[in-house]
Order: sequence, then C-alpha cells, then structure tokens
Amino acid sequence: MRCGYGLAALPGTDARLFSPEPSFLRLPRTVHPTRIKFGSFKIRAKIGEARKETSFYDMLGISEKGTLPEIKQAYKQLARKYHPDVSPPDRVEEYTERFIRVQEAYETLSDPRRKALYDKDLALGLHLAFSARRRYQFDEELEDQSEWRNRWQTQLSELKRRSMSRDAGGNMSWGARMRRQREEQSKQV
Amino acid sequence: MALCACSFPAIVSCCAAASEPQKSTPFASHLLGGSDLGFHPLLKLNQVKKRSGGVYASLSEGAEYYSSRPPTPLLDTINYPIHMKNLSVKELKQLADELRSDVIFNVSKTGGHLGSSLGVVELTVALHYVFNAPRDKILWDVGHQSYPHKILTGRRDKMHTMRQTNGLAGFTKRAESEYDCFGTGHSSTTISAGLGMAVGRDLKGERNNVVAVIGDGAMTAGQAYEAMNNAGYLDSDMIVILNDNKQVSLPTANLDGPIPPVGALSSALSRLQSNRPLRELREVAKGVTKQIGGPMHELAAKVDEYARGMISGSGSTLFEELGLYYIGPVDGHNIDDLVSILKEVKTTKTTGPVLIHVVTEKGRGYPYAERADDKYHGVVKFDPATGKQFKGSSVTQSYTTYFAEALIAEAEADKNIVAIHAAMGGGTGLNLFLRRFPERCFDVGIAEQHAVTFAAGLACEGLKPFCAIYSSFMQRAYDQVVHDVDLQKLPVRFAMDRAGLVGADGPTHCGAFDVTFMACLPNMVVMAPSDEAELFHMVATAAAIDDRPSCFRYPRGNGIGVQLPPGNKGVPLEIGKGRVLIEGERVALLGYGSAVQSCLAAASLLESHGLKLTVVDARFCKPLDHSLIRELAKSHEVLITVEEGSIGGFGSHVAQFLALDGLLDGKVKWRPVVLPDRYIDHGSPADQLAEAGLTPSHIAATVFNVLGQKREALGIMSSRN
Repeated sequence: MRCGYGLAALPGTDARLFSPEPSFLRLPRTVHPTRIKFGSFKIRAKIGEARKETSFYDMLGISEKGTLPEIKQAYKQLARKYHPDVSPPDRVEEYTERFIRVQEAYETLSDPRRKALYDKDLALGLHLAFSARRRYQFDEELEDQSEWRNRWQTQLSELKRRSMSRDAGGNMSWGARMRRQREEQSKQV
Repeated sequence: MALCACSFPAIVSCCAAASEPQKSTPFASHLLGGSDLGFHPLLKLNQVKKRSGGVYASLSEGAEYYSSRPPTPLLDTINYPIHMKNLSVKELKQLADELRSDVIFNVSKTGGHLGSSLGVVELTVALHYVFNAPRDKILWDVGHQSYPHKILTGRRDKMHTMRQTNGLAGFTKRAESEYDCFGTGHSSTTISAGLGMAVGRDLKGERNNVVAVIGDGAMTAGQAYEAMNNAGYLDSDMIVILNDNKQVSLPTANLDGPIPPVGALSSALSRLQSNRPLRELREVAKGVTKQIGGPMHELAAKVDEYARGMISGSGSTLFEELGLYYIGPVDGHNIDDLVSILKEVKTTKTTGPVLIHVVTEKGRGYPYAERADDKYHGVVKFDPATGKQFKGSSVTQSYTTYFAEALIAEAEADKNIVAIHAAMGGGTGLNLFLRRFPERCFDVGIAEQHAVTFAAGLACEGLKPFCAIYSSFMQRAYDQVVHDVDLQKLPVRFAMDRAGLVGADGPTHCGAFDVTFMACLPNMVVMAPSDEAELFHMVATAAAIDDRPSCFRYPRGNGIGVQLPPGNKGVPLEIGKGRVLIEGERVALLGYGSAVQSCLAAASLLESHGLKLTVVDARFCKPLDHSLIRELAKSHEVLITVEEGSIGGFGSHVAQFLALDGLLDGKVKWRPVVLPDRYIDHGSPADQLAEAGLTPSHIAATVFNVLGQKREALGIMSSRN
C-alpha cells in the first residue's frame, strides 16, 4: 500500500493529513497544534505558486540522467546550505522555502518508482508539484481502497457460491473425497 | 482545520509543558482523557518545538517516538489468544497499537527483527481473534515476523530474553510453545508444512483450520510453488496468506537506497495491486447475468467467471491456475477488513485452498523504520525515541566485508569474475560488489538451487562465478552442488559465510555441516581461512583454481586484527599445503579455519603449565597436506584435530588418511574436537562455544586428558570464567 511517508516528513504538515489511514481520519485529532499547521499552510501556498517552472532536476542542479549517488550528493550539499538552522537570519524564509523544495525533489527522485512517474509527467510537460501529486495520490489511494474492497467482497461471495457445489458427486479430488467421508462419518455418529 | 478548533485551550496550555518529550505519557493521557482512544503512535512529540520565524523542519533533532514505554492497558489483559475473543473491533485496533509499541520497546532492548514484525501486527491480531490457536494451526514463514505472535501467545514476559542464551528463539520453535506449530528459519516452508497439517487433519477426520502466512520474498523460492501446486491438486481446505510488502529481496536496500524488487513475480504482484478494473465493465457483466437470470445458472456462472477474469489482475490467474482461490488485494493494516475476510473464509465450508493477498508496509508504525532504506529489517539495540542503533565499534571489520573487498580486488584484475547471491546482498557483503560492478553481480531471489546451477551455466561459458551463500542455506542446494557442479567438474567457487556457530540466530542458521558435505565430494577443493589475511589469499586461490570447483568457509564475526595484503589483493596459496604456526613438542594441535585461533589460545594457556604445543593451520581439508600430517604423526605423541563443524568433516578426513597410511599403527594418539552430536541453541557466541565444548579451555583440558593428567584437566576447566 503506498503510504505518504517520505524521508524526514515535516511534522504537522499535511503529509499526515494525506495518509490513507482511515482510523486517523475518524479520530478527532485533538492533539494537532494548529499554530504549526497554519504556518505550514502558508508555506505550502507560497511554494505552490512559486514552483511552477523549475523541475526537480534543475532545482538539484543535475542533469536528467543523474544517477542516484549524484542525486544524493546534490541533495546533501543543498540541504546543508539551505537548512533553516544555518541560513543567514535575514533570508530564513527564502532559504527555508528552497530547502523544502529541495527536500521534495530528493524524495521524489530518490524513490525509483516515484522518479519513474515524475519523469513520465515531465515528458508530458506537466510538472506536478509534490504536494499536488500527493493529493492526487491520496485520491487515487482512497479510490484504490474502495476498489479493493469491492473486489474482495465480490471474490468472497464467489467463494461462497462455489463452496455450495464444491463437493458434488463429480468432484474426485482427494480433498473432496476426504470431506465427503468426514461428513458421512459425522452423520453416522 | 476544524479538527483542531475545539482543542485550542488544551494545546496552548500543553505547549509549554510538553517541550520535553519525556513527559509524553501524562501529556497524552491528559489530552486524550483516559485510555479509550489508546496511544496512537502517530502522536508527534516534537510538534511543540517553538522557534521564532514560524517555520521549522525536523531533520535530526526532536524525537518522533516515545522514549519510555507507554502504558498498555488492553494488552496487559491478554495473555493468550482466548482472552481476545470478547473484544470489539475498536478495541482490537487499540490492541494493535499497544502491541506495536510493545514490539518496538522489546526489540529496542534486545535487538532482533523489527520491520517485519511491525508490518504484521494487525494481521497477527486479526488471525488470533478469528481463529482458535493452538487447535487452529497458524504457521509463520521464516518466523522473523512472529514477535507479535509470541507476545499474544503467553510469552510476553519473556520477550526481554529474545535471541539470548536460554531465552526465546528469534523464530518459531515447536519446543518453545504449543502455539508455534512449525519450526521455521529458512524460508518458503510453511505452505508445504501447512498442507501436510491439513492433510493430516483430513485423514484424522478433524475440522480445525490451517493458516500459512508467507511473504512475497519467500514466494520467489521454488518450494512455495511446489507446495501450491500440490495443494491445488489435493484440494484440501487451507488458507495461505501472502503478506506482500513489496520487499522481494533482503535486506530491502542496497548501499545507495531502496531497491526496486527483484524478479518478474513482483511486477505481477504490483499489477494485481494497481489494477483498476473498469467499473462499467463489471456493471455490464453484472447486467448481462441479471438479464439471463432464471434457470440459466450455468451460463450466468460462466459469465461471472469471465467478468472476474476480465477485472481481476493478470497475476491472480497464476494462483488460480495452481488451484488456489485468490482473494485480494486487502489492506493489511485495516483490522476491519482483515477480520471480516477471515471470518467469511473460516465460516465457508469446503473452500479448498484459498490464497488471501494481504498488502502491508514493512516497519509500519515506527517512523524511523518506515523511512529507513532497509526498513529496520534486523537491528541491534536502539533508542526508541530517536531510532539510533547502538552499534558497537570495533577495530576490525567483519569477515563478510573483507570477503567483499577481496572479491572486488580480484574482479578489478580479472573481468571474468562474477558474483551470485540469493537475496542476501547485505548479509554476504555483495552489495559492495554490486556498487562497484553493477553488471557482474546477480541476485536471484531466494533460490539457492537456481543460484548454483546458474553459476554452473556461467562456468560453462568460461566465466568465473563466485557463489556467496550462507553455509546453512547451502544445504538447500546440495544436489545442485553435487550433480550440476562437482560431477561435471565445473569451476564454481563457493564462499560460505556464517560457518560454524552463529550466535543469536540459533541452530536454524548454524553452519555446522558444510565441511562434511563439501569435503566428501570427489572433485571439490575445500579450504578455510584462520584469519582475515588468509581469507584474502583464499579468495585469490579460488579465483585461480579454474579446472575444478572449490569452496571456502568463514565464520560470522570480525577479524582478529592481522595485517591485510596490500591493495586488498591476496596471493594464491599452494593448494594442499598447511602452515606451522608454533613449533613445539609432544602434542600437536591441527586446527581448521577459525578454530586455529582457539588452538593458539589453548597453547598459551598451556605454556604456563610447562607444555609447548605445536600449533598448525591446516588451511586445506581437501586435498590434505599429507606430508605435514605424516611429519606431525611421526614426531608427536598426541595429535588433536580441531574444527567448528560436525563429525565427518576435517577430523574424519585426517583420521582416514592416518589409518590408510599406517600411522595409527604406531604410537601416536589422535583425538578429534568437533561440534557435539546435538543442536546448539541460540545465545551469545561465547555461551555457544562453551556449550559446544570448543573454547580454548576445553581444548587445553583435552590435551591434559590425553596425556593422562586428569587433575590438571579438571583444574583448567574449573578455573575458566
């Protein structure tokens, strides 16, 4: 099951909100500090706007054919540069934004499956921002879940139907014969 | 978010209080008002770090999990599965959460397999809730995910002894509890065993259920298909649960990151999961059957079947063809779904074999495990709050690492060298080789038999294959070694790691028999290094042997600290020649492999008693160094062979030679020191050696005994600590 947990997920962000765990959705989340949540909303909104053009590869400064070690190295360098703790105090906001973007870029590009999806999108000319894709994934996953449920419910009813006629006279498998024997013995008793 | 509006005052007051994560327990219970909501591990403890500037990121600071064990009120009431029967589904969810935190805290104190156990918490709870163990048989393949199962079946109070001497075994073990119906440790055995139990039940006329839980990794082994094929044919009622966490290879990552699963099977399984049937198509099919209706049941059933075939993933037909009824995929972390499905299947009579495809996430519920590349598959003791493992530091590296480095050095020089392993890239060190030579390292999945014959095929084409398979897992591939490699004299090199006793994993992973079963083969060269430098030389020797198969064994653990050859490149040894380490008189210790170090220690013990022993490193078990052994037999009174292997190995070959050469007709006394004729239980390496009688003190005592100095022998044994 695809889960929304990436590397070093920012706590309190909507990473949690988009987790497909149904129990999470049902419980009233009395423990969420709203202040942090609002903060992250603002940042996300900003990111959503500003991020339309640069692709993840540009952000990390590597070519589209970059290998995983290259991606890792680029990420580490940029993360060290833009981390809020080490950013110059007058440019915290800007640096933090970039840090978050670099983070997302690395998360997507380092997971081979997500990278494949991202490359596909890029080829089509769509640069889906990370959180946008997350939302999309979440909807997909919700739909997946209900598809799954429908599917196995169908399968269960089919199983029940089959089991009615399973041990009919014609079935000569070893198991069927043993089951018939057992039934007869219990009837005799 | 409306969710949080009502809790504003609570948050504000607790923000300040909760800045130290250690206070989490009162904090959480204060907010949640009692325990009915349970302790949701998603509770983040660093949410309240305040920082001016409004934005923070948590990279390495701040704990993401509890640092002390949270209370587990519901789990405390469950000692056996029968205590679970009256719980509601909501309570089951709370139980699952508590069970999860219990597993994490137990493993943090003892080390062990964490990721796999976390992935099956909900499944374990659902299984024990629906089924009635021990009458219903629940089998866990490999067994490393059985920690929640053990907690729920009466062994919670012993979890702190997991994998330790005289403690719980790390895998399921029949002798430990009646709830462990089958001993596991190697993979892919549960469907076979489960079928056997199902057939036995049928023959006895009983009615219990048999459930075999097997992972997608274990599904890559042939035995699983052999079993499913037979199960489909026999049509006996049983349930196979395929626990699919998309980690088809161990340890689920190479050095550079998460690894996409190996093999074609995994893509079939993914297709199963992601297949999105066209709803309209199903509706159409349904509509058609509705219209037909009436007495046309047969036709309707056929159409139903077609519709199912159309909408179900193309992978399910694989199981269907084998004769198992496929249900799934199912969310493995949703207790509701699991319980309803299992109940349905349980109450359906005459199902035949059923396969339930359950999708889980390895390491679920522990943020550090979920994010780690290897999903915390096997860990040493760690700190639950930060996820940091307490890895001991050592001056030397493990033999596994040395082997990988030696092989890389050989492969640099010779481009024909390739490496093969069976889903053990981390365990055999070949992940290092993979990073350096991605095109020359082959991971075949959990399929040792195929790995050996595959290597044989490579050798036919003139390549130089190195098969790195644990000594214990080589047992699976024995016929392939004999028939496909040795009989045809193909130059395949076998690198057998984990030879001898292996510590916490216990007898299931113990490499006791490899000397015996390799040295009896006519064409095989059998050697063993006594330290890491020798290992480098033996890798070079094996690379140089190009006309016959060869093998070498090395133990688990770190090197002793000798100087390594320059550039990691060993020098091929002269085949069939040993080396004398200490020249002495009267008594000679002829050691093989890591036992040589124990011999050296025994010799220094005896020096204080005035005995100067000869210590020899045999290096080769096949071909034996005949001239050296003749020399030793002629010039000494006592010859003791020492090895960490079972009877029938090095010592037996030496005895055979001595007898045939007439050397036993003289005055020399030969004694063997081998592993005893019983399985040594798991424990610390030192405890295991003591239990097996292979410590330096034991060897020294043996020397005294043979010399007739029984009092000194007793003295040595009683003075060891």
